[in-house]
Amino acid sequence: MYASLIRDVTEQKVAHLEIQQLNEVLEQRVVERTAELAEANRELEAFSYSISHDLRAPLRAMDGYSRLALDDYAANLPDEARRYLEIVHSSALTMSRMIDDLLRLSRLGRQALNLQSVQPGDLVRKVLESFAAEIKERQVQVSVQDMPTCQADAGLLQQVYANLINNALKFTRPCPQPRIEVGCIQRNSTPVYYVRDNGVGFDSQYTEKLFSVFQRLHSQKDYEGDGIGLALVQRIIRRHGGMIWAEAETHQGATFYFTLNRQFNMEADD
Amino acid sequence: MTKILLVEDNPYDEELAVLALKTNQPVEKVAISRDGAQALEYLFGEESQASLRSLKVVLLDIKLPKVDGMEVLRRIRANPITRFLPVVMLSSSNQESDIQKAYQLGANSYIVKPVNFELFCQALQQVGGYWLLLNQLPHNPHQ
Repeated sequence: MYASLIRDVTEQKVAHLEIQQLNEVLEQRVVERTAELAEANRELEAFSYSISHDLRAPLRAMDGYSRLALDDYAANLPDEARRYLEIVHSSALTMSRMIDDLLRLSRLGRQALNLQSVQPGDLVRKVLESFAAEIKERQVQVSVQDMPTCQADAGLLQQVYANLINNALKFTRPCPQPRIEVGCIQRNSTPVYYVRDNGVGFDSQYTEKLFSVFQRLHSQKDYEGDGIGLALVQRIIRRHGGMIWAEAETHQGATFYFTLNRQFNMEADD
Repeated sequence: MTKILLVEDNPYDEELAVLALKTNQPVEKVAISRDGAQALEYLFGEESQASLRSLKVVLLDIKLPKVDGMEVLRRIRANPITRFLPVVMLSSSNQESDIQKAYQLGANSYIVKPVNFELFCQALQQVGGYWLLLNQLPHNPHQ
């Protein structure tokens, strides 16, 4: 019995030592991984710095010189040559906007969230005010339901609503009686906020692509935009720990849902 | 009689800027430096006394070969002769850290060069008009 007690103690000691060693290895690994992440972050930072400085100068030259050719020599140029120069000019400006969009997206990922108690209805009303002229002119029926208060970054959440409502207005343009509804439902005890319209919708098989950068499901000719809005929206929602998804059918309107809650599980039952 | 020193390493940006300034300024009043070292030579070199006398503003790019724009700005502010010389930073980027640093070093203004040529021209014409025609400089006893 005495011998077995000694063996137990020794085993315990060995086990203890092993745990200690494992902990040290783990800690070492955390330090290494953190350093790697910090390095990756620095590289990204340098990358976006370089993009914002260096990619704009060649674009300015493209825009400037094509503009100069058009302004100074238009009379000597055949129509087709003028058209080519117009394309250079407008493409340079498009790319410049895309660079700005990408930078906004990358800054969004790094900027700290200023979480506070926010009443989404207030933000929605502010956004609607900025679209008041269009809403009145096109006689868009807008309804804003009561919504529970949430914890969010007010500025960023307002951007979410601005983008979703802007889209709703844009894609209801062909509708004779455009309707937009903003509200909130409860799912699995979590508030799910939504923006719904009765516009042209989209083919639900492309839902995955909706939130990708520079992806557009409608032609630039019919619906202007750079294809960055929903990517920004998704980034903001994810920064809050939430999810965003959409339901739609072609010509049957679209509904965008989002949560701001880390615990939300779409699959779970109540 | 140079009134504007344009410090710009990109030859196309330089040409476009000169074209833009030309609409309300005779071109011979614009001097060009292609990098920070050239700018420092212009401002503090052997012939600097003559060039500084009529100089009203420096248009300074941030990203420059050899000596960057921030360092040129720092040296301008550190020297009693050029301490009050108006410096307008001209940058391609609206990077907050650059704007902060430029103002901390004593820049008078920070302008993001628009990609759109029309806006670029307007910006430079306004800058030229403001610093050359409207702005009043203090008497400099060190000159």
